[in-house]
Amino acid sequence: MENPRRFIRIWLTTLAGLAALVVMVNLLVDPYDVFGTPRIAGISTFKPKADDHPMLAKTYQVARVRPATVVIGTSVADIGIDASDPVWPQAMRPVYNFGIPGSTAIGNLETLQEAVATGAIENAIVFLDFDNFLIPQPPGKTLSDDEQRLHGLLGGAPNASRPMQVAEDMFLSTATMRALNDSVTTVVQQWVPDPSDMASDGSSIKQEFVTAAQTEGMHNLFAQKDVYDAERMGTVAHVLAASNGPTANLDTVAAIIAFTRAHGVKLTLAITPRHSDELEIYWHLGLWPRVEQFKTELAALVATQGNGVRLWDFMDYSAFTTEPVPPEGDLRTATRWFWDPNHFKRALGRIMVAQILGEDAPAFGVVLTPDNVAQRNAAVRAQRQAFVCGNSAVLAAASDRPTTDGCVAVETAAKQRGPT
Amino acid sequence: MLFNSYLFIFGFLPFVLLGFYLLGERQRDWALLWLTVASLVFYAWWRPINVLLIAPSILINYGLARALQRTGETRPTLAKAILTLGIVFNICFLGYFKYRMFIEGSLNDVFGTGFILTRLILPLGISFITFQKIAFLVDVQAGRVTQFSLRDYGLFVLFFPQLIAGPIVHYREMMPQFRAAPCRFDATNVSVGITLFSFGLAKKLLLADPLGSLVAPIYGHAAAGIPASLTDAWIAALGFTLQIYFDFSGYTDMALGLARFFGIKLPLNFNSPLKAPNIIDFWLRWHVSLTRFLTAYIYNPLTLSLTRRRAARGKAVFGGRNTTIPAFLTLLAMPTILTMLISGLWHGAGYTFILWGLLHGVFLCVNHAWRVIRPRIWPDTRTYNQRMAPIGFVVTFLSVVFAMVLFRAPTVGAALMLWKGMVGIHGVVLPWVVLFDLGSFGNFLVSLGVQRAWTSGALLLDATVRIAVLLAIALALPNTLEILAAYEPALGVKPAKTPSLILRWLAWRPTDAWAVGLACVTLAGVLSLGELSEFLYWQF
Repeated sequence: MENPRRFIRIWLTTLAGLAALVVMVNLLVDPYDVFGTPRIAGISTFKPKADDHPMLAKTYQVARVRPATVVIGTSVADIGIDASDPVWPQAMRPVYNFGIPGSTAIGNLETLQEAVATGAIENAIVFLDFDNFLIPQPPGKTLSDDEQRLHGLLGGAPNASRPMQVAEDMFLSTATMRALNDSVTTVVQQWVPDPSDMASDGSSIKQEFVTAAQTEGMHNLFAQKDVYDAERMGTVAHVLAASNGPTANLDTVAAIIAFTRAHGVKLTLAITPRHSDELEIYWHLGLWPRVEQFKTELAALVATQGNGVRLWDFMDYSAFTTEPVPPEGDLRTATRWFWDPNHFKRALGRIMVAQILGEDAPAFGVVLTPDNVAQRNAAVRAQRQAFVCGNSAVLAAASDRPTTDGCVAVETAAKQRGPT
Repeated sequence: MLFNSYLFIFGFLPFVLLGFYLLGERQRDWALLWLTVASLVFYAWWRPINVLLIAPSILINYGLARALQRTGETRPTLAKAILTLGIVFNICFLGYFKYRMFIEGSLNDVFGTGFILTRLILPLGISFITFQKIAFLVDVQAGRVTQFSLRDYGLFVLFFPQLIAGPIVHYREMMPQFRAAPCRFDATNVSVGITLFSFGLAKKLLLADPLGSLVAPIYGHAAAGIPASLTDAWIAALGFTLQIYFDFSGYTDMALGLARFFGIKLPLNFNSPLKAPNIIDFWLRWHVSLTRFLTAYIYNPLTLSLTRRRAARGKAVFGGRNTTIPAFLTLLAMPTILTMLISGLWHGAGYTFILWGLLHGVFLCVNHAWRVIRPRIWPDTRTYNQRMAPIGFVVTFLSVVFAMVLFRAPTVGAALMLWKGMVGIHGVVLPWVVLFDLGSFGNFLVSLGVQRAWTSGALLLDATVRIAVLLAIALALPNTLEILAAYEPALGVKPAKTPSLILRWLAWRPTDAWAVGLACVTLAGVLSLGELSEFLYWQF
């Protein structure tokens, strides 16, 4: 029937009805785990899209969990540490993984503050990535959306912009096409094998790693990241070429130590491990002295300011970090400890946590102090020498390259890599 | 205030419409005054200083128009001088704000002058408003516009649905509509308006905007001097062509729909240009109101003047298939290239826009030349059209895509970099996994020189699928004007005499099914409002 008035009436009614339905669906599925809607089997057990907005999801998750122990760090901690692992003793539970992909040292401090703002934190383990301590990263002049939703500002003042940001979060998580798309994706992903997930405890599983490993092979995952990191770190090395200054951003680590001491939180710092592919990039770009300087200065800082704080160093050429990568075209063989040169798997994360907690575990990492840091640096150099000698054919192309040409060198090495 | 914002859709528009309809019930003049004031608020929203810049210009143009009207018949020389003054004033106004920095920068580059480059606040929609004001003065001088008041003129210039990015309208096609508009709620107009606006919103937010993030890194890399591979270059070229296509199409639909809420039909501005079988036809479909302005106020007067001069000297003039080369060059090629140069400059103060205009000028000349030559070598027009139309379409499409790189590239160097990529000079690079999945054919490609990239094949697949789907929509589906043709969505648009099957099926009627379907489209658009993005044509 053609009737313009009726057309407008039906259009308006349908529009309002559909809008209400969209809001209800988004609330039910809760794709970013903002509302804490109970996870429903077949609908929302896994939260793959929370991973796209980790700070949004985790800020609300941590407030609900009110953990006794928090894990802080970048994507490395986010993926590699399982907050529900049985390795965690009962006294330290609940554990929350507040690892945020791409986080900086300042970001680590902010997430730590946010976790402590829940009022229940007793222990904090902060994973430090070496590459976050090369270029100074001062706080931004304006607050990002992610920072606006935090309870407090850096320095401890209350964050006045939080209520507005929370209102925006609620709106964008319910009444947008993106939220609806993500709700639908969330439901669909429940039915695929190995979906990505951000658990309620903040630990993440990345489906893209699993899928890429199965469809493209581990070799491709490593090679892709090798090329990317060689470019990225090459730029950093170029910037640092004329600089012999102190390690950047250690003042933020000092602030982390001071903050935890002021709030009675037991702090452990841990330098994250890297696969030998990544370590070789540092070597060939001339960054290894920086690695050793970082460890030395960090150990000195912890010794002088961190009353009772322990600093673990997992960045070495051990059997874990030098695990061979399957050859090109091999889609079956999986690596055991690493997803790519930067991201360790949960299996290695468990060993690291066990080491930190003093539980029974294979030997990996050492507690760094000013007394043993030189010895540790020399030992890692020796490990590297042994590794290079044992893999000379693979590394030949890389080691012959000038240090400024790391990208090409590593790409060549990656392409030439065969079974070792 | 963006058309695609919560504030506009849920605040400004309902408020203005409510006021317009309520006032219109009592007094039409109040409703039109309300619309003028609302348009001024809309214009001032971003930068109130815009009003201080545009208001004196409106008053000066109105004064000049009045002077023209008084002197037009009795003192034609003075009228001509006033018209010239008006045109110069408007061009200088536009030039000062839009081109000063570009000119000073160019002088610095060429002559080493020491102009300090300062970026001025560019009044919104200045290019569109300037052309409208010039057209108005010309029409007054030519006697095509005889009755006007300051209030009418203000509404004509400021009418917010077309204020920022067109269509470029004529006083004589707008004011009769304003004078005849009922200024009351009209269910048919509102339902047509809702449909047009919803289609436009969906095109902009669902189809155009997602392409921005796809192409931006490639243009950014090209600007940084990083060569683009064949696949990347084509993704950049096709992706941006489709982005601006759906962006401008979406904007135009929204402008048509908004005007229709007030009972006004704006002129045709966008009519599936990518379906054009030749470049002349392309310009009759892309930004139609600009082509109309350039043709009427630049190309035609220039051609007419040159033709008269040649005729007075006894030289051959343009005469279809008997046209001589000098006549073609003087009377068609030169005015065409000059007009398109102005078109390029109008779009932006930069060498890329100038080159874009010149390139289209050359395309048009080649097309016109072929029209002169073709009857001599292929006299049967019917068989020619049957056999050559698909080739014409492909050549036109590729020419448009090729030139569109200039429209998006930040520098000519970046455009060159992408063009080289498009013809394969920078090599062919495919993700490792794609070559691996192709098996022996992948190895064959590698042996031909195809390089492997350690990137995910998912990105290439995603880009390819998106571009293919959008091309299918642009090329295979009827456009909004065709779908709503029975309700004259744009001024003068009538239903096709022999509509296609799909068009008959999709033809819009105010039915229950359309109301439900449209609600879904509207909702998809409204739910995508979260990330604000400007229309590409608003920058002009």
